[in-house]
Amino acid sequence: MGRSDMKSLCNGNMLGWGALILAFALVPVLMTSQYQLNVACNVLIWALFATSFNMLWGVTGMLSFGQALYYGVGGYAIGLTVTYLGSQWYFAAFAAGLLFTLVLSFLLGLLVIRVGGVYYTMLTLAFGQLAWQIMFKLYDFTGGDDGLQGITLPGLLANKVYYYYFVMILVLLAVWVLKRMAYSPFGLILRGVRQNPNRVRFLGRRVRRNQLRVYIVASLFATVAGALMAGVDGSVHTDMFFWTTSGEVILMSVLGGISHFFGPFCGAVVIILIEDIVGAHTEYWSLLIGSIIMVMVIGFPRGLVGGALDVAAKVRATLQGAKHDDTTLTAGLGK
Amino acid sequence: MAGKHGWKCLAVGLLSLIAVPLAQAAAPAEKVIRIGAMYPMTGRPGLYGMDSVAAAEMAIDEINAKGVAGGYKIDAIFTDSKAKPAYAVRVANRYIAEDKVHFLFGVVSSGVGLAVTEVSKQNKVIFIGTDHAATELTVDNFQPYYFRVSNDTFQSMAAGALYLKEMAKTKPWKKIAYIGPDYSYGHAQWDELRYNLDRFGVPFEVVGEYWPKLSDPDYSAYITSIIKDKPDVLVAGFWGGDTVAFIKQAKAYGMFDKLTYFHPDAGGNYELMSAMGDELPLGLILSARHHNNWPVTERNKKFVEEFKKRTGRYPTYAAEGAYAGIYAIAQAVEKVGNPDDADALVKAMEGMKLNLPEDPEGFVSIIDPGTHQIMQVQAIGTTIANADFPPAKVMLGNWSVYQPADIFVPAEYIAAKRKK
Amino acid sequence: MDFSFLLTQMVSGLTMATLLFLVASGLTLIFGVGNVFNFAHGSFYMLGAYLGYQVVTVWSLNFWFALLFAALGAGVIGALIECLVLRRIYGRANEGGFQILLTYCLILIIDDLVKLVWGAEYKSISRPAGFSGSLTVGDIAIPSYNLLIIAIGLVVVVASWWILNRTRPGKIARAAAVDREMLGALGINVPLTMTVVFGIATALGGLTGALAAPLRTVTPGAGIEVIIDSMIVVVMGGMGNFWGAWLGALLLGEVNAFAVAFVPEWATLFSFLVMVVVLIFKPEGLFAPRTTRKV
Repeated sequence: MGRSDMKSLCNGNMLGWGALILAFALVPVLMTSQYQLNVACNVLIWALFATSFNMLWGVTGMLSFGQALYYGVGGYAIGLTVTYLGSQWYFAAFAAGLLFTLVLSFLLGLLVIRVGGVYYTMLTLAFGQLAWQIMFKLYDFTGGDDGLQGITLPGLLANKVYYYYFVMILVLLAVWVLKRMAYSPFGLILRGVRQNPNRVRFLGRRVRRNQLRVYIVASLFATVAGALMAGVDGSVHTDMFFWTTSGEVILMSVLGGISHFFGPFCGAVVIILIEDIVGAHTEYWSLLIGSIIMVMVIGFPRGLVGGALDVAAKVRATLQGAKHDDTTLTAGLGK
Repeated sequence: MAGKHGWKCLAVGLLSLIAVPLAQAAAPAEKVIRIGAMYPMTGRPGLYGMDSVAAAEMAIDEINAKGVAGGYKIDAIFTDSKAKPAYAVRVANRYIAEDKVHFLFGVVSSGVGLAVTEVSKQNKVIFIGTDHAATELTVDNFQPYYFRVSNDTFQSMAAGALYLKEMAKTKPWKKIAYIGPDYSYGHAQWDELRYNLDRFGVPFEVVGEYWPKLSDPDYSAYITSIIKDKPDVLVAGFWGGDTVAFIKQAKAYGMFDKLTYFHPDAGGNYELMSAMGDELPLGLILSARHHNNWPVTERNKKFVEEFKKRTGRYPTYAAEGAYAGIYAIAQAVEKVGNPDDADALVKAMEGMKLNLPEDPEGFVSIIDPGTHQIMQVQAIGTTIANADFPPAKVMLGNWSVYQPADIFVPAEYIAAKRKK
Repeated sequence: MDFSFLLTQMVSGLTMATLLFLVASGLTLIFGVGNVFNFAHGSFYMLGAYLGYQVVTVWSLNFWFALLFAALGAGVIGALIECLVLRRIYGRANEGGFQILLTYCLILIIDDLVKLVWGAEYKSISRPAGFSGSLTVGDIAIPSYNLLIIAIGLVVVVASWWILNRTRPGKIARAAAVDREMLGALGINVPLTMTVVFGIATALGGLTGALAAPLRTVTPGAGIEVIIDSMIVVVMGGMGNFWGAWLGALLLGEVNAFAVAFVPEWATLFSFLVMVVVLIFKPEGLFAPRTTRKV
């Protein structure tokens, strides 16, 4: 990547971040009902969850089917602490959840990265389901499948609009950190791990160590997403641990395009909105959503973001005759 | 750099996020009682949801034809809750913020019910529960804007305990085993049955407890293990398709010749009879919150036949709950004069009497002011041949009827649970 | 704890295991041979159950014909879907992800279509004539239909092993798993092979659905309930390995059966525990060859 490329990337970055922050910051101003705030919160949190998940899959090539485990840890860290100790412990709970995830993902990470490919996928699924089953079984402590209700937030956060901005700032900050990471030397190594682990070894880097690192990083950010979700509805449920939650971020990522950093983000936005709008209007949502996504999958071989980029590039090419060059996560180590 | 275009896509997507809900918001019509209903309509619990929707629509048509006081019409929106608490909470929030509903309504799963009652409490919007049965909603997690118009598990288990007490006189039993789905509904039934057996002074010995996961397709291992335990009575806490699968598999093992099968909460639901036809063994002791062939009153007959006319099938008990809920709303609004004053509506519903299809001659359902739980008669029957409600070939008969005064949640139970 | 109980409990586990294996067999076939992960495999199982219901209960025809009809129906629909939809994503970057997404869409679509055609009520099929009784061992009876299912499972595992290893079509299918381009260069119609394999896999799913219908409930959503357990079995056995899947299912079924008998409170934890233990100690599945095969 040349210096001038870097510069233009930075300019694009500034513009993009500005638009992103503005768009989300305006939601409370422009909204016509509290509900849109709720949807925007959902969008942001799922977008963070999907983006963090894609650090594993799209960047490093480790398809996890068990990230719901860490999402759930975040939610229940807040839920259990506030229920048992009170909302003044909110921030401590946040930290405790992250600490717990750090330890857990380190220990589980050591086990799961030993196996590759689909076996890794299934092992993460198994651990996720095991955690779900345990949370489900500890009925007296966790409320089982009834979940925990009435999670109140401390001070200003109790206000829905303030909480929304809290979520927005944390999510965008987290996404920014993840983006920096994806394009840092660490990110390059991760992409190398996906494309050709041996080459990474020849470069004197350890494959497993980097896999473990990214597993921990992705898990920590999933925990942040889960912790934020607990405050949106004031309740947490064991569903957070269930495999369908892990599945949902996979769907979001594929739909948006896993080889683009913002693919999962866009996928999350699209899926949450489709679910919401279609679900509100028809009993046959499952038929309709299935068909819509199927058409998208067939029509956009590189995901929605990839497809949009193709279209944009074609338009530019016809307008300026300029050569198309895109920065995707596939770029990086030499071709 | 194309990175820039990625940003543009994102920005367009986000703008549509803001624009779409704006376009959706529509001006509400005049003089309408708006109800936001949530039912599962897909997957395994879908039948309960579809029946509830059909019955609620039937009640709305009946009421709108007559007209509610003050010239109000009822208008209900139905959304699939997907049986997921987090999603249902989002739907409930949308109902309140965008559709400006006066009532939240419905819900089959207790987990979803507990989540939605929280939304109802925060927004001070009345939530009418029509099907979910967890006693917690009216006891531990009671909040003033919640009402339930079908019996809870406590009432069916208390009736069950009384039935077992009487049965001991003619058919002595002592050893008892339980099998129920491994989630709060399954556990609550077993806890409440044992509580009531103790309360009524019935001696029993537990020889086995089994917890298959909800919608487990295969029960062979459970069945052979239960047979080994040699219980006199097997209490089951399944609902829906699980009951069908369990009874089919247990029948193949000849389990029903070896013990008394007792399933007092959801076992007697019509779905079981319609699915199994003449395969359903005779002599099983079952109950449900509404029966198509009991009580034999004009009101009930009319309800069942009307439902059949609308949908082409006979109703499951979920239908009657939804039907009752709509009538409760109409009656409360009639009394208050408008659907806007939630607190006045709460007052109106406390102690309200409702004449419902499942009320036998000389009895009227009443909403208990202390718990906001409806008090209804519970009838337990045994399976006998009866082809009046095809495709079922077997229905319940030999009824034992329990009055709400005997089976309602006792004050000390409520006090103990609420203290926690 | 007497011997006859242990025996019946074992047979119970065997019944569970065989149905699990039969669902997994189609999944492992298309996974191992076609490299396609069919998340919607459970939906073909459900479809088979409904087709069986249509034949036996609605048309009042023979149960054995229902099995055939369910297998054929699910197979044809599966082959059509492969031709019309799945084929379009072969060879894409991140194909695996798109397979999951696309087949997940199929789950959503098939679930709703089934509800539109047959309604949401629970359905049931009676056991076929001659298999409604039970065999008595000691003081416990074993349903003869369960024994039939166990036998059919054995036939399927032996037959598929034989077809894949001893016949020409089987060898073509296995070759497709290794190198499709080379196979095409040898003059084999690769797209057709893929369609046929996919059709056979979904036919196995449909057959299992109809076979399980007399024991289980025919209901929308039945597909999603079996898919996770079958995925476990497929992976434990080693992808595309029929014997592995069968033994994996057996392990899971028996562990479950005895967990139910001895630690009923925690029985539901065991299927995931088994998988965790197997994958930690045998990361490539129970029957992975120690070294990679020579080409």
